[in-house]
Amino acid sequence: MTAPQAQAARPPAAVRAFDVLASEWTKLRSARSNYLTLLIAAAVTIGATVVVAHAIASTHGPPPPGPIDPLTGSFLAFAEYTVLPVSILSVLFFTSEYGTGLICTTFAAVPRRRAVLAAKAAVTGTAALVAGELLAFAAFFLTQAILSGRHRGLSLAQPGVPGAVLAAGLVLAACAVVGLGLGAIIRHTAGAIAATIAVIYLLAAACLLLPSPWNARICRFTLPVAAYQVVALHPQAGLLSPALSLLVLLAWPGAILIVAAVVITRRDA
Amino acid sequence: MIEVDRLRKRFGPVTAVDGLSFTVRPGLVTGFLGPNGAGKTTTMRIILGLGAPTSGTALVGGRRYQAIIRPLRQVGSLLDATAVPGGRTAWSHLLSIAQSNGIGRHRVTEVLRLTGLDTAAPRRLRGFSLGMKQRLGIAAALLGDPPVLMFDEPVNGLDAEGVRWVRQLLRSLAAEGRTVFVSSHLMSEMSQAADHLIIIGRGRLLADTPTDRFVESSARADVLVRSPRADELAALLTGRGAAVVRQDDGGLAVTGLDAPAIADLAAAHGVPVHELVPRRASLEQAYLDLTEGSVEYRTGTAAGEGTPSR
Repeated sequence: MTAPQAQAARPPAAVRAFDVLASEWTKLRSARSNYLTLLIAAAVTIGATVVVAHAIASTHGPPPPGPIDPLTGSFLAFAEYTVLPVSILSVLFFTSEYGTGLICTTFAAVPRRRAVLAAKAAVTGTAALVAGELLAFAAFFLTQAILSGRHRGLSLAQPGVPGAVLAAGLVLAACAVVGLGLGAIIRHTAGAIAATIAVIYLLAAACLLLPSPWNARICRFTLPVAAYQVVALHPQAGLLSPALSLLVLLAWPGAILIVAAVVITRRDA
Repeated sequence: MIEVDRLRKRFGPVTAVDGLSFTVRPGLVTGFLGPNGAGKTTTMRIILGLGAPTSGTALVGGRRYQAIIRPLRQVGSLLDATAVPGGRTAWSHLLSIAQSNGIGRHRVTEVLRLTGLDTAAPRRLRGFSLGMKQRLGIAAALLGDPPVLMFDEPVNGLDAEGVRWVRQLLRSLAAEGRTVFVSSHLMSEMSQAADHLIIIGRGRLLADTPTDRFVESSARADVLVRSPRADELAALLTGRGAAVVRQDDGGLAVTGLDAPAIADLAAAHGVPVHELVPRRASLEQAYLDLTEGSVEYRTGTAAGEGTPSR
């Protein structure tokens, strides 16, 4: 070893931001359980998509009580079997560091904790977006292939369809960042998972129990209803427009990240 | 250089660090000693910016830790060796830490070799023994080749060979001019490894002294003498300027005269001596005596509060 250097060159902020991103990416990709979970989630999603598509295909005529949106039907399995496990993985990406105490090593290496939060969010969000788009397109083509046997399939060339399929992938990224942010805020795995499930599923169900017209007025601001509007070929009347719903969909992870950014610097690690 | 100035940290009603001030200088191994719960880890966490002090400051190289750009190149630390992700390999764990501070891959290989973990690099940390995790933590601290190093209880869980390795490593790091700050609750370990001692109890500074001076001042050598005519001998000894303390079992603890002088004196006056034992108080004992006050104070207060009024 050489004699210690008292002062090192001061690298530009962009370089340091990239360093933190590289570090968090290494953490994400080096945990074998992440791949396994993602692989199982993908396999289950594909399998369940086939089952759902056959179920839709075997209904005759307009199914009661209302028409099933030909597009959202493609993503029923995706919404359950991809969104939930990926959101939980994202929660763990933060809470596992608090659980093991690794967070102290992380914050000692990068004392600007918001940089850690931003890097973790960027890495999880990007990974979820890539996985989400791949699975959304796979689910779409698979479902439509099965439905086209009944002459009810949609084509990617139809107006509104490509945007909606892309949006389905985006929903996964939004839910992943929600999970990550709640993990940073709550720090305990079980609590953060419960909160994440509440945001991405239960809040909408609870709103529907409210007396009309308040149920629709409030529930259009919940994440799953906004996600439905963005992904549907025929958005429901009485809810927000797809464009506004997209904003709501992005506002959830955005707001949660802002809260996380505030609390993360105020607490002892 | 680490400078801690009037540092206080309260957790609700508990004051973990209570007005602590000290300086850790480069080129020395400085031992940070205190009983469990004395505030060593809390102090180290504040120095690393992991906890905010209630008041006071902790500076590393003249700056707050949070203000240091790429801090691993300035300060290497090991707080809790078991705080590692079990699912990752040693290599990827160290790589993720290195990348966060713009440290290259070759340095990861280097510290793995330096800590004898090169063959364990592709193994997942779940299977690491506590001793291997300590080595891994030390490897992480060395990644940035920093001028300041802080280790919290680094020999916990190490076997005799590991303990010797850590001791030699600390010495060589200090010899290179680095600031080396090591906590321990074991005086026996620190007396061999540290050049300087900072001893705390209940969050307060008890001693800030070079190790050899602490050893000298604490080596309360005396001679135990037993005689059937103890009173007569005690009078003779005090007459020669020695201090005599009568023990519960009738023995005399003599300071100020060495064993041959005592024997000669007794022989010259025909006083029989049945036992003559030169004694040296251990360093551990001196440390316990020093910290006992702080421990006693705590239990004393608790007992006082809990005792029904008489």
